[in-house]
Amino acid sequence: MVSKLAIVALGLSLGACAAPRKQEAPRDAELGAIQPLAQGEQGFALLCGKVFTLNEADDVFAPGLVVVRGSKVDYAGPVVELPEGYELVEAPTLWATPGLIDLHSHIQTGGWGDINDMVLAMNPEYRTSPTIVPANPDIQRACSAGVTTLFGIPGSGTNNSGFGVLYKTRCSGSYEGCVLADPGGMKVAQAYNPERRGDLGATRTGMAWTIEDALQRAEAANAAGRDDKSLANLQKVVKGELPVLIHTAGSDAVHTTIEMWGERYPATKPVLSHGCFDGWKVAPYAARIGIPVNLGPRTFDWRQSEGEWVGTPERYAKAGANLITVNTDAPVMPQEELFLQSTMGARYGADSYLMLKACTVNPAKSFGIDALVGSLRPGRHADIVLWHGDPLDPRASVESVWIEGKLEYDRVRDRQRF
Amino acid sequence: MKFWIDRRSLSVLAFSACMGFALPSFGSPSSAQEGEKKEEEKKKEEKKDEWFAVLNGDVYTGTGAVLRGATVLSKNGVIESIGHDVEVPTEAKTLDAAGLRVYPGLVAINSAGLFGNTGGDFADSVDPYNQRMTLALASGITTAGQSNVALKLKRREIKGVVLRERYLATLSFTNSNPQGKREMNERFERAARYLREYREWEEKKRDNKDLKEPAASGVDSTVRSILEGRVLARFNASNREDLLEIARLAQRFGFRPVIDGCIEGWTVADELGRAGAYAVITPRDRRDKEEQLVRDGGSSIENAAILHRSGVQVCVIPSTTGVDLGGIAGRDILHLPIEAGFAVRGGLTDQAALESITIVPARLLGVSHRVGSLEKGKDCDLIVLDGDVMHYQSLVQYTVVEGKLVYDKSQELFYAHIRPRPSTQLAPEERKDKGEAEEPKEGAEAKPEEAPKEGDETKPDDPPKDPPKDG
Amino acid sequence: MTILTTLLALAPVLTGPVDPSGGLVAIKVGRAETVSHGPIDHAVILVDNGKIVEIGADLPVARGIPVIERPEWVVMPGLVSCYTRLGVESRAGQEFNPEASPTPEIDPRHPDYKEALEAGVTTLGLYPPGTGVPGHAAALRPKGKAIGDMVVDEDAYLKVYFRANSASKKLVRDAWTKVDEYDDKVKKAKEKWEKDNKSKGSDKKEEEKKEGEAKAEEKKDDKKTFVPPEADPKVKPFVQVRDGELGMLVSITQAADWAHWLDAIGERKFDYALRVVMTREIDIYEVTEEIGKRGVRLVMEPQITLVPGTMRQRNLAMEFATAGAKIAFKPRNDTIQDHVAWRRHVGEIVGAGLARDAALRGLTLEPAAVLGLDKQLGSLEKGKTANLLFLSGDPLEPTTNVEAVMLDGEFVFGEVKE
Repeated sequence: MVSKLAIVALGLSLGACAAPRKQEAPRDAELGAIQPLAQGEQGFALLCGKVFTLNEADDVFAPGLVVVRGSKVDYAGPVVELPEGYELVEAPTLWATPGLIDLHSHIQTGGWGDINDMVLAMNPEYRTSPTIVPANPDIQRACSAGVTTLFGIPGSGTNNSGFGVLYKTRCSGSYEGCVLADPGGMKVAQAYNPERRGDLGATRTGMAWTIEDALQRAEAANAAGRDDKSLANLQKVVKGELPVLIHTAGSDAVHTTIEMWGERYPATKPVLSHGCFDGWKVAPYAARIGIPVNLGPRTFDWRQSEGEWVGTPERYAKAGANLITVNTDAPVMPQEELFLQSTMGARYGADSYLMLKACTVNPAKSFGIDALVGSLRPGRHADIVLWHGDPLDPRASVESVWIEGKLEYDRVRDRQRF
Repeated sequence: MKFWIDRRSLSVLAFSACMGFALPSFGSPSSAQEGEKKEEEKKKEEKKDEWFAVLNGDVYTGTGAVLRGATVLSKNGVIESIGHDVEVPTEAKTLDAAGLRVYPGLVAINSAGLFGNTGGDFADSVDPYNQRMTLALASGITTAGQSNVALKLKRREIKGVVLRERYLATLSFTNSNPQGKREMNERFERAARYLREYREWEEKKRDNKDLKEPAASGVDSTVRSILEGRVLARFNASNREDLLEIARLAQRFGFRPVIDGCIEGWTVADELGRAGAYAVITPRDRRDKEEQLVRDGGSSIENAAILHRSGVQVCVIPSTTGVDLGGIAGRDILHLPIEAGFAVRGGLTDQAALESITIVPARLLGVSHRVGSLEKGKDCDLIVLDGDVMHYQSLVQYTVVEGKLVYDKSQELFYAHIRPRPSTQLAPEERKDKGEAEEPKEGAEAKPEEAPKEGDETKPDDPPKDPPKDG
Repeated sequence: MTILTTLLALAPVLTGPVDPSGGLVAIKVGRAETVSHGPIDHAVILVDNGKIVEIGADLPVARGIPVIERPEWVVMPGLVSCYTRLGVESRAGQEFNPEASPTPEIDPRHPDYKEALEAGVTTLGLYPPGTGVPGHAAALRPKGKAIGDMVVDEDAYLKVYFRANSASKKLVRDAWTKVDEYDDKVKKAKEKWEKDNKSKGSDKKEEEKKEGEAKAEEKKDDKKTFVPPEADPKVKPFVQVRDGELGMLVSITQAADWAHWLDAIGERKFDYALRVVMTREIDIYEVTEEIGKRGVRLVMEPQITLVPGTMRQRNLAMEFATAGAKIAFKPRNDTIQDHVAWRRHVGEIVGAGLARDAALRGLTLEPAAVLGLDKQLGSLEKGKTANLLFLSGDPLEPTTNVEAVMLDGEFVFGEVKE
């Protein structure tokens, strides 16, 4: 069956696109001709009103075509002829984006429990992965709101409660089926929350020492070529083989974090999380050092000095921070409202396309997993969301979500969950 | 234009009009009164009429009608006319809304902290200068309920703030309190019986003047007012069983219940619709279904849409009814239209969503004769936005309450720096704070980034390159 | 020439050394800040019997009159702190005691009074403690062996503590209703008196014929003038305020208080001053125009305030002065330290934009007016009380010291030799 899609008249009633580029011939070098399906291979194609590829060229195609072969994206570009064998899903009024990614989430257990071991300040030997409750209701709702990849991490009750897990929000399937990387990275809390009198140290100085002490032990182990079991993952962190997400808060903590991780341990791959309150004041420093910032769940600062309503993402963008992402800190904010974090960033001054990047390709880049997820490019996981319009608009619901080529949520089949 | 008339709502309105508001006296006034009246009229004549006109905006009246490039004319705070051929008196203050959208001021059924630290005695303690009121006006809210009082956000004025008191009577009718439920049922029975007897007595009285009036003792006055249509009964209920019971009670005794929460309302929408219920819902309310149940349960994003389709009038309110300055955006009273957007996500029509934050809450507060839509004779409370009121990048540019400009985005601290509008759009009454430092504000020099949007489309806006000075 | 002759005439009587107890003395200073008539360079002030007898530039002084010559000094009227609890400590709750006076609790030996005097504060307005309507303020001179020596005026002003709430509004409304009731009472009494008088008068015509004229005359005298019934002590102060016999000071803290105050008093016309508590964040600037338009006198601290919720500074004294209100300053706090630093604090407000003459008035003549004593003191004018503050330089400069203080024509501080 060959569909001459190029001549299909699409009665699109959609407005102009949110992308900074108009439709052009595909420039993504990876984007070649669509190959016919091999024997026994599964594949389908989505014909959409608009396709946000989130590729390096920021291509948006309206209308556009996304072709999935097996569990990977094979093609995402202008509407072209489709080889035989592909199932065609016609969605001329819907918009397609890659699945959304949240780097700061605690819903793996389906609630607040089991996220911190409150005995020691540092537990770099721990992992979050055993606590995953696959397909728990929170995960299902996240999936139905287009959130497909999560970094499930320990809480900020202690400086470090181990290593988080990158996993997919599959509504079906097993523990093995949903894990993307374990460990996916480390979580460190460096200010505010772990500051408590009486047990784990009351000051930020104490915390800075506690963390640095652990890092130095890991560095020493690396230098000695020692394989310390309890430090194994931390040793990877100091070598830059695993990313680290650092819980900060206001400008003081943001500054400390950039200074420690960005300047003193340049080999590490830190991502600065929260950066809220007046943290934006240190944004130029973050931009200079080039540290990715993962903003939220607070997306604005009531700027006392001026009485201004300051959109946090807007200020980081203005300062030149190149890798801005948003988070929900779910369940602080419901996981399904990840898009709304971007929405609010856009409402309070940031560019709407930048905010779409902030919950798709940018988190993937921040964690070095952009070769797998975060964009609709050939070879990437087929994590695809079909929206009834602008993904940032609360009024636009999700029609379908595919994770690695499998339809995990369908509004009609599963009844609208969000 | 199509008019949709709901008989029940008409009758309720008519009833409340009779019971709630002062009607002109039809008796012949004495000469002294006449003299007073004449003097009053004279005074009125002496007092100059205050005219205010919003020109060239796309007027979304809230009744379903949209008039493009139309004029809204206000006389002494009341809408005199809306349309294209409106003659604007020369002395009228005007506001040019060309390229902008005009909507009725939003109505929040519940609110907290918008009127200052009042002890509930709003007339004598409202703080019309407090920042939260200004922020609420900046987010489009012009009428709000607090402590069962309907209040107007009259910035810098303390007169006429209280619109109506105690229009809602909160009742408890839940299966978790069987005793209370039975008692409530009895109260309704007694009151209904009394009203029946009273009407019979009124009938028979014509023939037999000596007939004794039925005794009202032991009749619950609140329940009586509900049955007489003078107040609305409000229930906090979300469980399917409770909702069903309330619907039955309402149908049996013939009143329209207002249901707060109503999370499982979508599972019994037909029954609620038949009972003529109103639902006050937060579309994002989340409740997991009880796992052991086979039937539908828990929350649904489609709740508002399903209820609306069944004839339930839906009112939307965010989960936080106060102003949140802590940094969490999108969940408090300042994001009322965003919350309504989530109802649209679940399938509610745009028009019903607009009504859920305007005319429906106005009805529930008993003030729909004054606010909730842009119609001749109603208060001139309107907001002017640079796009669809429910679009996430639309911000209120101007807020007008009773024919007075009370908020101008470009002239206030809060949002002026976000997508600033060209300076040609200045309001007629430019407000200057003399005491403020003259030094230029950060962001003030930023150029306008984009033209006003249309509908739900988004436009690219390049992120400004220059870093903030005080970084 | 009149001056000269006066001086010559007095000359023979008063010669010899300077009499510190207040005899005739001429003081020559570099500059006099008269407050009422601008500055006078090379000023000569002639003081006698506690009063300023004459003031002018380079006045000739008759031989024999002791002359104090201090060309490096600047003289200004003694400072008037019209709203203070200096030296007293009692507290009270909400009261309605318009007849109460704070004078019984004065301790003349309290060291603060001496220190205040040495800082140049020659008049104090001591107000009664408590909220509601706590009573009268008393004007004091901060020197005396007994309370009686200190009290200048027992009835300086009626203090009203007003806040935007129904209790405050009720208090005010009720007080004025009582005045109306009293007026009714007076009206009725007068009607009765007139009626009685008339009937008596007509009787008398007949009596006159019978009795002697003289006797009739005597009887008439008894009833000639109507004596209104005495008002209740709790009502009388409000009657006095209404009749302009007593000042009123209304304490408010925010713009809403003012709006509700206007609502509470309705159409009534009477004079009052406003005590505006300059809290760190105050929104009273919202009603600057309204207050200024009415030419109200304001008692306020010399304090830069902030727009609520922001760090934006405002100079409210300047704003009010510009709008037409009259500014009477009070020290920032009732401590002696703030009385000493008072001039400097006002200087800061001038530095931030307040007109210099408004500042000087705000320290002297305006607070005197609040106390109802502006005819007697508060400026350097012929006939006014000789409360003089001698300074080493400009009164508003932080480096300026107090050189001498004269109270009622008597030097009470500073070594003054001819």
